[in-house]
Amino acid sequence: MNAKSMIKILAITYGLIGILPIFVSDSSIMMRILTMILIWSVVASCWDLIMGYAGIFSFGQVAFYVIGAYSSAILSVSLNVPPVFAVFAAGIITAIIGVLVGIPCLKLAGPYIALVTFAFQLALEPFLKGPMGKAIGSGGSRGIISVPPIEIFGISFSSSELVPFFYLALVMTLICSAVIVVILKSHWGTAFLALKDSEDFAASLGVSAFKYKLLVFGVTSFITGLFGALYVHYVGILSTRMLSMEVFTVLLIMIVVGGIGQYPGVVLGAVVTVTMNELLRPMGIYRLLIMGGLVVVIVLFLPDGVTGLIRKFSVFSKRKKKEDRPIKT
Amino acid sequence: MLIEIIDVIISGLLNGSVYALMAIGLALVYGVTKAFNFAYGSFYTMGGYFAWVVMVQMEIPGGYYTVFLTAIPFLFIVGFLLEKFLVAPLRKRDDWQMKAMMLTLGLALFLDIGYMAMFGPRLKSLPDIVEGTLELGPLVFMNQDLVIFVLSITGLLCFAWLLNNTRVGMAVQAVAQNPAGAQIVGIPKERVFAATFAISTIMVGIGGILLSQKNFVNPQASTGIMIKAWVITAFGGMGSIKGSLYAALIIGMLEAFVGYYLGMIHIDIAVLTLLLVTLAFRPQGLMGRE
Repeated sequence: MNAKSMIKILAITYGLIGILPIFVSDSSIMMRILTMILIWSVVASCWDLIMGYAGIFSFGQVAFYVIGAYSSAILSVSLNVPPVFAVFAAGIITAIIGVLVGIPCLKLAGPYIALVTFAFQLALEPFLKGPMGKAIGSGGSRGIISVPPIEIFGISFSSSELVPFFYLALVMTLICSAVIVVILKSHWGTAFLALKDSEDFAASLGVSAFKYKLLVFGVTSFITGLFGALYVHYVGILSTRMLSMEVFTVLLIMIVVGGIGQYPGVVLGAVVTVTMNELLRPMGIYRLLIMGGLVVVIVLFLPDGVTGLIRKFSVFSKRKKKEDRPIKT
Repeated sequence: MLIEIIDVIISGLLNGSVYALMAIGLALVYGVTKAFNFAYGSFYTMGGYFAWVVMVQMEIPGGYYTVFLTAIPFLFIVGFLLEKFLVAPLRKRDDWQMKAMMLTLGLALFLDIGYMAMFGPRLKSLPDIVEGTLELGPLVFMNQDLVIFVLSITGLLCFAWLLNNTRVGMAVQAVAQNPAGAQIVGIPKERVFAATFAISTIMVGIGGILLSQKNFVNPQASTGIMIKAWVITAFGGMGSIKGSLYAALIIGMLEAFVGYYLGMIHIDIAVLTLLLVTLAFRPQGLMGRE
């Protein structure tokens, strides 16, 4: 997909989401769904960047999100750092941890990376609940309650004021989406694809696998940490429940629905998945059953997700340009 | 003191032998089909529930004999059909490994929640396979532990025999070495893939039946088992069967010692540290090939 149509799709999607609060600002449920769509769309985009474009099977996305949330919460609760700065500090802390996780992954082959990053997520829960986590102020299994909301120029962005927080999240989302588009369309994005297609050949052309792989770990974990921090100041409470398989799978579904390595697709995936997740909530335990079954069905019948579906139909409506074809992965 | 250490070693051996059964199944399926099966742990739970349904819910006579006689074909069919209808269609694509990972993750969630919806969130307990204890001087063994140990070793030996002495096993080895070459000499590659998947499902399911007697049937156990099997295969070398065997025994021992001397909560952290340290020095695992 070229940069122009990428920006077009993003602009239309976020534009529509941005206008909606004018009509639904009275309904707190709708506002919550819209806010969560924004947050998850960026987190899922980062995952798509590292997995779909850079070809690294990183399964640590939820862990980075939680690390961002915990660092910001600990900074603002235990050390009384103003939330605005804590959010950015959390992004930087997460980026550092992301690079530290990335370093051992550089040497490893695909499946090992998936394992190490997934194991990292699993080890995070006992760490945060155990004595070491308590020492840094994670609150153990009780978690952290009463995280202060973000305040800028006297305006407080908390869960009681849904509309201002929504627009704060929208601004952050737009900035981060712009960053992702720029990365994908700069020589970074080309280098990621080259490394993914053939690491040896890319290296022979002078593309440093070390540099670009660490960069992608750093950038994606920075943005993910930032949004994790944003989220915790919005809901105000935090516990290790965020590390459950459920959150991980819901994030996975966004990518599956949107299509892996089809960038703006994952944003559409987030819109569909978050909305569906909320609509199915009254069904209790069957919600996750349906979600799990859906992953299987979509992977089987719509391997490129919504993006693949749109492309299929656009064959009939528009003449297909050559550069619009996805780069085969 | 010495007795304590022997006790710990025995419990390590016991866990290690069952882990070996499960991890070798995973090593086999990865070595042959190159597919990551994230739903592996869910088949462990499936084995446990199968035994519970047969013995406790439906009260079919014959105890564990009936369970094993029915569970092996049942798990074989489940595994065969899953590979045939869910994993095989993905192979046409270039990025099928990632797609297979996602599909099996979705499947794992589907199965785990399915168990909870069908059987409720409560733990189910299975009857002991044999009662009583065996006393050798100061050492006391539970007969149940001995039977579990013997059965899992038998399972491993059966597997080794199957792989080395039968036509199916040789076909599996040929496909693992060179899929294209195997196809040229007339080995039905797709059927071998499905058969390997089915055999691995049997191995983990049997592991589930054996260990669930001690640990209860738990719908939430799947993720832990899946990770354990993956850690063992990665530690031993992805796709290396011998490596997985040693790795399973080492990890079983490590768990027993850490659990006894430092407390259960440190088990996961110790296992992961061992894995990370090993991978840092030997990225291909203990016995894996580069």
